[in-house]
Amino acid sequence: MKLQVIVYVFIMLFVAFVLEHLPLPDVLYLFQPAWVMLVVTAMVLFAPNIFGLWLALPVGLMLDVEQGTLLGLHVILVAFHIFVLQLLYRRMYLFNVLQQAGVLFVMIMGEQIIHYWAVAVLREDARPVLLVMPALFTAVLWPWIYVVGYRTLRRLERG
Amino acid sequence: MHPLQGQRVAVIVVLAMLLMWADDQYDWLKPVRYVIGYAVAPAQKAAVVPLSVAEWLGDSASLRRELLKENKQLAARNFILERKAQRMASLEAENMELRDLLSASDQVDDRVLVTSVTAVDPDPFTQQILIDKGGSDGVFIGQPILDAHGLLGQVIEVLPFSSRVLMIADTNHAIPVQVNRNGVRAIATGTGSLTELELIYVPNTADIREGDMLVSSGLGGRYPKGYPVATVTHVENVPGQSFATVKAEPTAKLDRSRHLLLVFTDKAARVPPVALWKEGQ
Repeated sequence: MKLQVIVYVFIMLFVAFVLEHLPLPDVLYLFQPAWVMLVVTAMVLFAPNIFGLWLALPVGLMLDVEQGTLLGLHVILVAFHIFVLQLLYRRMYLFNVLQQAGVLFVMIMGEQIIHYWAVAVLREDARPVLLVMPALFTAVLWPWIYVVGYRTLRRLERG
Repeated sequence: MHPLQGQRVAVIVVLAMLLMWADDQYDWLKPVRYVIGYAVAPAQKAAVVPLSVAEWLGDSASLRRELLKENKQLAARNFILERKAQRMASLEAENMELRDLLSASDQVDDRVLVTSVTAVDPDPFTQQILIDKGGSDGVFIGQPILDAHGLLGQVIEVLPFSSRVLMIADTNHAIPVQVNRNGVRAIATGTGSLTELELIYVPNTADIREGDMLVSSGLGGRYPKGYPVATVTHVENVPGQSFATVKAEPTAKLDRSRHLLLVFTDKAARVPPVALWKEGQ
């Protein structure tokens, strides 16, 4: 793997965390997609034998600290995300970008449900989570991330 | 994919659940969170850059005429406040004397630190904000936060360069208050709406009227005494029910204030050990 590819991946991840934290007007928060999950998706699809399950630990813990959730919650979500991507890898590889976006929509929605369950198992005062909005906007953004992230990485890798 | 990938995922999920449980029940994961905060800090700093650039542009683009006008207004305001401060000095001295008479020592003025809001928690079911001061500035968990108009909330999580604040409007938050007019005590809980608090367990006979100012009573040991919290907007006595319904509007501008004050007091703040309040349940 080339140095520039590694640098590019880290920049993408950094930008995703910046976007995750970006101060927005209240209304726009409803439409906030899961930026980091998008980048993780691109990373796992791009280099499945480098970016595997281990990614769940650093990225998940950083997300937990960033969002102030219980430590470990996002580790579960990212691990689940990566595992499903690995299971569906061959299909995702052949799918066109809209089909991939559809799969992402269902995955993010499932993760929102797991998010709620995981908290509800531990605490009585689990807060409800938004189900459709984050999943929808993550799916809508996927084609762009696909082009900017995945395709660019491919091109960098080839030369 | 590894042949045992499913099992590996299961192990990670179980470990993560254990971690969550430990984080929920005990305090010893707080340092871990603090250290991870260093990794997140660069992204958090970068995220507020556009905001500060916009603010800077706004500042440098304002007209000289407007600045002069604003300066005049501020000078006038300062003059009024200074007049009040003159009275304050004598009142404070008088207060100290009276307290001496009561043989109680109490500080009237608290040390404060100015901070600004860097983000609002996107979760619509909670009322939390992030501020740009953290453990490196001496911020601690449970520290009270004010804006220019009244009490805003308390710190619930400290990272190296930022902290998370739970606002008084959150449904998980309650603050002991008293009516400024007559000292009637009550507890104000958040309703999840930024413009409404609710007083709970107020007897039907309690002397609370619309327009009453509620100030912090300092009884919980968390908030300092005497800061304005809310103004009563609605009192309703339902016959046959033992408690009155009392609504109040926070005096702090929860959704507008950009600059806040962190209060350092000797008495307020230190969180009582968990064992102390769990025993009572």
